[in-house]
Amino acid sequence: MTKSTQTRRTALKTLGAAATLPLWARYTNAQTAAPVKVGFQVHRTGIGAAYGRWYDRTTQAAVAKINGEGGINGRMIEVVAEDDGTDPKRGAEVVEKFATQHNCDVAFGTLFSHVVIGSAPSAGEMKLPYFVVSEGHHVASGMLNRYTLQPGITDVKSQVQAMAPFVAENLGKKVTMVFPDFAFGHDHRDFFTAAIEAQGGEVLEHIAIPPSETSFTKYFPKIPRETEVLYHVMVGPAVLTFVKELGEFFGPSRPEIFGFIDSLEAVDISSPGLEFLEGTYFWEGNPRYAQAEQTEYDAAYRAAVGVDANGASLSDAKDVSTYAHMFGCWETLHVLKAGMESAGYAGPDDRGKLIEAVEAMSEMPEGFDHPQGAKLFNGKTHQVFGHQYISKVEDGRLVLAHTTSIEDTLYEDEVDYTTQPL
Amino acid sequence: MRVWVYLIALLSPGSALAHVSEQGFVLLLPTGGYILGGAATVALTVLALAFAPKAKVEALFKTFRLPVLRAIGIRFGAQLFALIVFLLCIGFGFIGASDPLRNPLTLLVWTVFWIGLVCIQGAFFDIWRWINPFAGAARLGADAGWRAPFRLPTYSHWPALVLFIAFAAFLLADPAPSDPRRLAKFALGYLGFSVIGCALFGPRWLVRVEVMTVLMRTYRQSALVSGGRLGVWGWRCVRAATPGLALALLILALLGLGSFDGLNETFWWLGQIGVNPLEFPGRSAVINETVAGLLIANIALIVFYAAFIWAGVRLAGGNFAISFRVFAPSLLPIAIAYHVAHYLTSFLVDAQYVKSLVSTTFGGEQIAVTTGFFNTLATVRIIWLSQAGAVVLGHVAALLVAHALALKLYGDRKAATLSQLPLALFMILYTLFGLWLLASPRGA
Repeated sequence: MTKSTQTRRTALKTLGAAATLPLWARYTNAQTAAPVKVGFQVHRTGIGAAYGRWYDRTTQAAVAKINGEGGINGRMIEVVAEDDGTDPKRGAEVVEKFATQHNCDVAFGTLFSHVVIGSAPSAGEMKLPYFVVSEGHHVASGMLNRYTLQPGITDVKSQVQAMAPFVAENLGKKVTMVFPDFAFGHDHRDFFTAAIEAQGGEVLEHIAIPPSETSFTKYFPKIPRETEVLYHVMVGPAVLTFVKELGEFFGPSRPEIFGFIDSLEAVDISSPGLEFLEGTYFWEGNPRYAQAEQTEYDAAYRAAVGVDANGASLSDAKDVSTYAHMFGCWETLHVLKAGMESAGYAGPDDRGKLIEAVEAMSEMPEGFDHPQGAKLFNGKTHQVFGHQYISKVEDGRLVLAHTTSIEDTLYEDEVDYTTQPL
Repeated sequence: MRVWVYLIALLSPGSALAHVSEQGFVLLLPTGGYILGGAATVALTVLALAFAPKAKVEALFKTFRLPVLRAIGIRFGAQLFALIVFLLCIGFGFIGASDPLRNPLTLLVWTVFWIGLVCIQGAFFDIWRWINPFAGAARLGADAGWRAPFRLPTYSHWPALVLFIAFAAFLLADPAPSDPRRLAKFALGYLGFSVIGCALFGPRWLVRVEVMTVLMRTYRQSALVSGGRLGVWGWRCVRAATPGLALALLILALLGLGSFDGLNETFWWLGQIGVNPLEFPGRSAVINETVAGLLIANIALIVFYAAFIWAGVRLAGGNFAISFRVFAPSLLPIAIAYHVAHYLTSFLVDAQYVKSLVSTTFGGEQIAVTTGFFNTLATVRIIWLSQAGAVVLGHVAALLVAHALALKLYGDRKAATLSQLPLALFMILYTLFGLWLLASPRGA
């Protein structure tokens, strides 16, 4: 809390200093100040393109808002978008281009973990602050560097861990996990198994599905009869087939089912074939459907990005957004603004100061800049923590059933980046 | 250090966010039935052709004269305009938006030209003769009194074939073919190369070396309208002169590229090269595999085609080398059908970016690009059946063309039909392959 007061105080001071300038000087300054250049590393092509499109829309909306409110320290944000092809090697090249060719102040916006991990060393070498929006655990795990931060979206470890109390208390303690047999699925397996055991529950069976599988019927008989909760995190093109076959296997008598919306991000929940999901639960990074108790912040954010109450594009009700993730772009850009203003950021020479200013942040109250909810930033691990949402499918809509506390998402620090030199 | 990071990257989670979208719905469609239906349609065509009298088949290829615009001046003007647009877009490639979907050059080359214009050229009419910027540049030189000092030392299409393979490798294997700056360098370099080639060797350069003109002149043979006449798809293949070996191979390479561009995204191919289909590591990580796959696919296609042609010659008599060249153009309708089918989905999305760019250029609003049509079973079914329909139609047209070519070569129905049996089998198998490709799960 103290840190955030300092931030506000510093911001006020900056404002006060500006106010003491003669009017013409302020005016001139606002007119001639070079823009803050934000290198936007966007998945325009490759497997991340569908996410990239919504990350782009959210970014444009956030920049329009921030610029409309006077920019950062009176300077407008200019977005320099570069496609990384959802390709780690290109990602590294793009980050270098931001630093050396485009003279960007920061790099921002990467989603896919392998691209983040491929790009972060370049950001470190170039000493370019790199604000990722990837929800991977790689930032907080300590594998990256001082210049890489994730202040706008929570990481998968905290997300998975925070599900366990709700699952154990409301759905059941005997869990069977179905997950794709590679690192993404293994993370869920490891994080959730430990978390449910801490709640006095147990995982009866881990069913790992080969990534190339497109039919799942033969795996279902492995689900133990005494299973109370089925936890699934299937991804890729065969997800809809998975749901359909699961429905055919269980019929009307099924265990409780809990999944991650990553499986069905940007898919219409009311699609034919998904009826079986009725009554099942999903983790959501940010509730896709506007809820009865929707905040004014979420309403404003939706309107700015152009998303309707069902999480779809205002211009096409079938164009469902990546609502559970894309808020991260919006919030990260607002953190960037707060960080630059608190650091008195004037140009690339102040990049180190910017890193320190963001590291000094802690509480981020819910608001127009944080419409997903309040957050707690850990300056040592460069990772933000926040509320997680659990929604139940009711009448083909995701209805919020539970909001976790931030405490549920916390875990012990695995790194202290502040000990690394700037 | 870097190597270590990449290794970790390959093992790390998060790439799993790859989108479900239309692929998920395609897997829910009864594609098995559709595939059998498509292959059966092609097989029935074979049967019908076997019993069709010669005159009936020839009648199919009747053409009708259309009122033609014979205004050379307008054409030159249009070509010059296209050249100016191309040059402007190259300029914007260097200095414009670095976002490929907001840069005119990337959209011009990959969406307008490579998808839009090639499809129009191969399926409908010869648009290239009106907007060929290379021809515009050559004509500009000629009008200025420039005379080429050398004669092109070859009359064959070998140089174009080599350039086409290079282009295909750039399209499929280059890590960043959409990057505006990179594309601008390639485009400017290639335009310069072509202009110098024309200046040194005269306009024959355009029809023997300049690969885009060669490609477009080849594809016009499968179009409905060509040379001011309207006929069924592929009618001009039947009337055109027998291609030389290099051009025959170029036609095979067109189909080879169309087949591999698609195959390389399937779970099956990713499994072959040891890539997790749910965690594609990016184009940079598979450059060698992609180039090798492209070459292998082309060689395999040539070998299979040759084997089926050889079998036909064994059955009906004739000369293998001649038959190999004679029947190659019958593959053009299939190649263009693959092109249409493969690019339909990306065109539906990227054309919106083109529209948005045109709109903002003329002071209009940015258009909110949607992919909502990938999100419902009904629209995905329409898209899939359109793709499959194109593939089946392409094969039916190819069979008709091949049969007409056989009648021309052998003169009588019996020998022609006999010679066509292996090639017909080839086309039925290729239909199955093409439809399987559309129905396969993709991960890249």
